[in-house]
Amino acid sequence: MAHELQQNERREEIEKRAKFCINDNMDLLIEILKRLDDRSLGVAACVCRLWCALTRNDSLWEHLCFRHLSPQPGGVRTMVAALGGYRRLYMVCVKPVMTRLRLGKVRWGSGSEVERRVWSRHEVELSLSLFCVDYYESVLLGGGRLGGETSPPSSLMILCKAVNV
Amino acid sequence: MKRDNRNEGNFSSSGSCSSSGKAKMWPCEAEDAGVDELFAVLGYNVKSSDMVEVAQKIEQLEEVMGNVQQDGLSQLASETVHYNPSDLFSWLDSMITGLNPMPEFDSSSDPFLESSTITSIDNSSSVNSHAQMAVDLDFGSDLIAIPGKAVYPRTQTSPQPPAPPPEQHQPQAKKPKTSPCLGNSAGGLHSEPGFARPVESARPVVLVDSQENGIRLVHTLMACAEAVQQENFKLAEVLVKNIGFLAVSQAGAMRKVATYFAEALARRIYRLYPANPQDSAFSDMLQMHFYETCPYLKFAHFTANQAILEAFAGKSRVHVIDFSMKQGMQWPALLQALALRPGGPPSFRLTGIGPPSHDDTDHLQEVGWKLAQLAETINVEFEYRGFVANSLADLDASMFDIREGETVAINSIFELHQLIARPGAIEKVLRVVRELKPEILTVVEQEANHNGNVFLDRFTEALHYYSTLFDSLESCGSGAAAAAAAANSGDAVVSDQDKVMSEIYLGRQICNVVACEGLDRVERHETLAQWRTRFGSAEFEPVHLGSNAYKQASMLLALFAGGDGYRVEENNGCLMLGWHTRPLIATSAWKLS
Repeated sequence: MAHELQQNERREEIEKRAKFCINDNMDLLIEILKRLDDRSLGVAACVCRLWCALTRNDSLWEHLCFRHLSPQPGGVRTMVAALGGYRRLYMVCVKPVMTRLRLGKVRWGSGSEVERRVWSRHEVELSLSLFCVDYYESVLLGGGRLGGETSPPSSLMILCKAVNV
Repeated sequence: MKRDNRNEGNFSSSGSCSSSGKAKMWPCEAEDAGVDELFAVLGYNVKSSDMVEVAQKIEQLEEVMGNVQQDGLSQLASETVHYNPSDLFSWLDSMITGLNPMPEFDSSSDPFLESSTITSIDNSSSVNSHAQMAVDLDFGSDLIAIPGKAVYPRTQTSPQPPAPPPEQHQPQAKKPKTSPCLGNSAGGLHSEPGFARPVESARPVVLVDSQENGIRLVHTLMACAEAVQQENFKLAEVLVKNIGFLAVSQAGAMRKVATYFAEALARRIYRLYPANPQDSAFSDMLQMHFYETCPYLKFAHFTANQAILEAFAGKSRVHVIDFSMKQGMQWPALLQALALRPGGPPSFRLTGIGPPSHDDTDHLQEVGWKLAQLAETINVEFEYRGFVANSLADLDASMFDIREGETVAINSIFELHQLIARPGAIEKVLRVVRELKPEILTVVEQEANHNGNVFLDRFTEALHYYSTLFDSLESCGSGAAAAAAAANSGDAVVSDQDKVMSEIYLGRQICNVVACEGLDRVERHETLAQWRTRFGSAEFEPVHLGSNAYKQASMLLALFAGGDGYRVEENNGCLMLGWHTRPLIATSAWKLS
């Protein structure tokens, strides 16, 4: 008798658990996604269409770019949006700049590295400038300028290569 | 061949930085002077006493095989008669002479190359030049003073100047310096891929002496320039040919630099002066590639922009006059910085100056249009005007329509030095600049004196400068390895094409500095100190570039591959970008005094 009761209880618990679907709680989902790094966001985008759409939301990437910084001067958001969005900013400029400049890598206990981004005004300015140059080059200057190149030329290609190869 | 310095029959070879990259390692040899055991196992009779020469020959063979372009190797497979393969020594010899990679060789090269690794020269060529060579070219005494800043890229790893003493000796085979050999005889000698890499030997063994060839190359270049200076064109002609194939023995930056300088010298000797580039679109494209591969132009743009930004602080109407419009790559960053400045962007006016285009397109207007689009995207009020001028000296202050209340900045990147060729031109331009009453004048120029009166001095300076520049290009990491690495991580790659175009861009400058004279020689670079004097006498005062510019420049450089090699220096308020210890370009800012 007691045994059956236990089984019932367990079944109820499992049913209760099954009723909680993360996709029904979008704000929770977004809060979680906000804390992920770029690679994990990419992985998350592959889960389902909803997640894919969510991870493409620019405010997530804005958060990723600047979460450790004091609030940006007004106008950055409009500018970045006009030049291609935060996601592009992150991929094209912010990430390479951070990697190259090895900003604030901290080693924790077991030896795994946790990257703590320590941005200052200068890195931000530089990233934005490079982003603008990239926009000018790829959108405005690109296409046929160098006659038949497969990938659009970009002065930021230098950012894509590993240092000290 | 001499054989002293052989250490008990133990030796190892390490081709330090040979172009093929591989070095061979020989098994330890026993004390006996008989046939080497390991070789004997493979069926070759090689006397231990011959091992040195065999080693050398194999190095030479590899060198030669590496230099053969197309199917010179097929001969080996089919036609070459291999004399007695068990006699390794003479077999290698026959292969080397059979494989003649450079049929246009002069035997006149023999005197210097006798002791080098490229012995595959055909001895069949003319006797005259040979005789002349033997008579005229006593390099021994002339070669003492290698210019202090060594020119070839491998000096970091090569031994410090080995030049003076060896050169004095009669040309002979290099004595192999020995070092404790590595007892890894398991490496064996099966076939090429079987050779293991040796550990760095304590003293570099000069068996693959591309370094020695490098030294010869530099000396030949200098000797040729001197001959040209003394108008001894016969001698110069012979020397120029030698430079040609000495250059081929090098790899990397040295080879390219030497080739360009050789071509420029040849043009000067044969009076085939290069026509000044008419096609500005092509020149612009070359400069774009240069912009993309290495940081010099970016450095120039960013530092100049920072100075202009600071000069425009608090101003609401600004006007930039750009003497070096080209593709307008400098201005997006400035527009962006102005858009985000506290207080909002000013109303921005840009006047671009450029050379006439030779096709029907109005290039300047197109660039202006694109910049206008960008400005609209980031919400900056923008106005543009383009002026076509053959030379900056043709401009007048009245053309620019400076309006009331406008703050003017003038920008010139690598343009002012071209005015020095015409007497009075630079003075006129500086006068026009004064009339425009700019808040700031930003100037970026090459940091070198390529305008001396003596040809030889110019040549030497240019050789150092461009060698350093090409060196830094090499570190930009294009090519197979980087491409593979980048492909793995799914990123883009600076293509070889970019690098090649940058080299052509620089090559044109080299040609101009060396081969041209008079009004045609427009690449009249001067040092920062010289420019300071000029600006001082034109009543300009220096403006110090602040720490912001310095920080931004340092960060920018850290982003580049090979970022370790670039150095930003501050020099009395001006910023200089250099490669290792050599400053290459300098940014300065000026205002009216």
